[in-house]
Amino acid sequence: MDMNEIREIFFQECEEQLAELETGLLKLNDGDRDPETVNAVFRAVHSIKGGAGAFALDDLVAFAHVFETTLDCVRSGKLEPSQDVLKVMLKSADVLADLTNAARDGGTVDESRSRALVKELEALANGEQPAAHAAPEPVAAKPAVAAAPAPTDSSGFQPIPFSFDDFGGEEEEVLMVAPTYTVTFKPRAELFSKGNEAALLLRDLSRIGEMSIHCHTGDVPTLDRMDPEGSYLSWTISIKTEKGEEGIRSVFEFAEWDCELDIKLAEEAEADDERPMIPVPFDLSLLEDEPAIGDEPHVGMHVEPVVAAAVAAAETATGVMQAAAAASARAEKKEAPAASAAAQANAANAANAAGQTIRVDLDRVDRLINLVGELVINQAMLSQSVIENDNNGTSSINMGLEELQQLTREIQDSVMAIRAQPVKPVFQRMARTVREIADITGKSVRLITEGENTEVDKTVIDKLAEPLTHMIRNAVDHGLEMPEKRIAAGKNPEGTVRLTAKHRSGRIVIELTDDGAGINREKVRQKAIDNDLITADANLSDEEIDNLIFHAGFSTADKVSDLSGRGVGMDVVKRSIQALGGRISIQSKPGQGSTFSMSLPLTLAVLDGMVVTVAGQTLVVPLTAIVETLQPEAAAIHSFGATQRLISIRNSFCPLVDVGRILNFRAQQANPVEGVALLVESEGGGQRALMVDAIQGQRQVVIKSLEANYMHVPGIAAATILGDGRVALILDVDAVVGASRGQSLRQEMSLAS
Amino acid sequence: MAGKKSEQSLKLAAVLDLNAASVLHGKLQSLRGSDITVDASAVERCGTQCVQVLVAGAKAWEADKKTFTIGPMSGAFEQTMQLIGVNFEQILSKEIAQ
Repeated sequence: MDMNEIREIFFQECEEQLAELETGLLKLNDGDRDPETVNAVFRAVHSIKGGAGAFALDDLVAFAHVFETTLDCVRSGKLEPSQDVLKVMLKSADVLADLTNAARDGGTVDESRSRALVKELEALANGEQPAAHAAPEPVAAKPAVAAAPAPTDSSGFQPIPFSFDDFGGEEEEVLMVAPTYTVTFKPRAELFSKGNEAALLLRDLSRIGEMSIHCHTGDVPTLDRMDPEGSYLSWTISIKTEKGEEGIRSVFEFAEWDCELDIKLAEEAEADDERPMIPVPFDLSLLEDEPAIGDEPHVGMHVEPVVAAAVAAAETATGVMQAAAAASARAEKKEAPAASAAAQANAANAANAAGQTIRVDLDRVDRLINLVGELVINQAMLSQSVIENDNNGTSSINMGLEELQQLTREIQDSVMAIRAQPVKPVFQRMARTVREIADITGKSVRLITEGENTEVDKTVIDKLAEPLTHMIRNAVDHGLEMPEKRIAAGKNPEGTVRLTAKHRSGRIVIELTDDGAGINREKVRQKAIDNDLITADANLSDEEIDNLIFHAGFSTADKVSDLSGRGVGMDVVKRSIQALGGRISIQSKPGQGSTFSMSLPLTLAVLDGMVVTVAGQTLVVPLTAIVETLQPEAAAIHSFGATQRLISIRNSFCPLVDVGRILNFRAQQANPVEGVALLVESEGGGQRALMVDAIQGQRQVVIKSLEANYMHVPGIAAATILGDGRVALILDVDAVVGASRGQSLRQEMSLAS
Repeated sequence: MAGKKSEQSLKLAAVLDLNAASVLHGKLQSLRGSDITVDASAVERCGTQCVQVLVAGAKAWEADKKTFTIGPMSGAFEQTMQLIGVNFEQILSKEIAQ
């Protein structure tokens, strides 16, 4: 695994932590005072800081550090998380997200904003607490005994600089300069099982200052009662460092949740000093110069023996005992792996209980999905050829094939489920959008999200963020009124924007509701007339007027604001939703607000389609677009102009679109009476009747991108492979409907660009 | 003391990491009941958990009233002991004092 991959994982984790952070802060904002929530928030910032430190992302570390300090005040109860405090914190979370993104993708962040927030955070951290706690950064002069930046030796150990002067007369003086902290550190077994090593942590600790250490071995049980992979040792460390408590904590960054860690200023610690503190001071140079230690006997010698004697004893004994030792080692080898395997299994079980997840490269999942798609196609081809060659029709092969079909469908569903992700992250991003816009517009807005755990294909999620952001901006900027107006209208001055997601008949429905003024139809209508979208005397239903906002270049804001009304508006939203195979509709009640609802497919990999025949070609029409199918009667067909035809359905007229003609499958218009009409919903809410020659049936098809394998074809959305092995094109209903309008389509396009 | 019949020796492996702890534990268990010299001269890397096992061993030997000696030590072993502040001398003498 190279550094880039690790970096990538770090940023993925950052995203999770940021989401966690925001969830926690929002909970706090709602009055949750559970210490665990505060801890979760703190942990999130802390982890980001830790990881960022490892990658030397200094800006990120610096900001996270200040943020963390303030959060720590909340955690320790020194700072009451009031609404105002949380407002700053939420903003800080946004900046932290920005900094993370900047660190990942390059680019810059608004420095003045983060600087201002740093000041606010610091003010919060300092404002309500005595200076005693806020003194982790002594500005004092360098200590008399400078901490030697000792080089790492070959064995990877860092010598710990130590001066005996500290125990002499100079001690007090030195203490004045760099504060001494007493650290108690007790690792839990998880620390080791996660691959951390206490010795390495202690080594790192030794690097930030002069330290002496005492190891408590009292908890170590006797040999037969101990778990070799348990954790029994604990340490009391006295360290003199300029880095302060934060510096010490940063050493334990990744281990903090797997150990008991207590850091105190030495003065405080002395007050309740009950430990027999026997520090073992050392310096590597002492190793070579043993007499210098004087009364510090060599480590490990038992009572009277001296090193030489021990060596001799060992040498002699080694000769005698080697065979025995080897034999016992062999015997042990059999047991030991079994024991460690059992231990590992236990650990695995414990982990499983906590809900295990793995990170898998998206490419791999996509490859699997692709292969499963091929499998489905292949299975369909196989069963088709069996049916064709089967004379009696009841062979056992058919039974087997049916089971195979069920299995493949199940495999396909399971594979799709891998890609399914909750919409939560997108919804959370919207919370930020709402905050920012509310700030800019001076409106007070509350975002309520529901059904965040509704799952949908990751591709859909990724592409959902942009249109949703647009819509939220619109809802807050155009939809909600200013607080004064709201009060005047007898509403809560705080506007509500509700974002909900739910599954409905195999699709995901996302609704965005605001309790604002609703669509001002008069204004919309006037604007549409001004923009030549409709004629002044056009007679439009309320629904049609509402749908005008989806037209390109439409903006009802009186003046172009910073937020919305830059010419890209709801038309872009509609287009992106449609590109996802979705539909968007709007409902609005004057004075009560508007609801936008989007219906999206759960996946972009398979599609329920109606297989139809047009001029000898097989086409697939997405089922979601079809409202109904009907057999036209000659009496219902009316000519309109030179080439246009209308079909009358239940006393209303609907343009008839000959798909074969539009796609240039045939030169002449087909006779409608010989074909079938598919009534489809098109842009703007209007309906069109697509004329095809015949319907073959309904089928779930695996979508194969035409762009990726060939090139974009107008009127065609994608392709698929049918059971007989032939390629069928999937119709782009909106493009076909648009093309049937001919001139008007091109005009719209030029408006948009 | 060289050549004492009941004296045994245990040569520690070069790498005493997490995985080695169980192995070491097992080895020590099997050597209970006689004086022991632990040879740490080949140790290149020593983790905390193996130190724990050794500490537990020292205690066990103490309880058995047998001698537990850490014999020749490699530089790395010595450094680790100092780094994590484990002093077998103290552990053993404390046991005696009790």
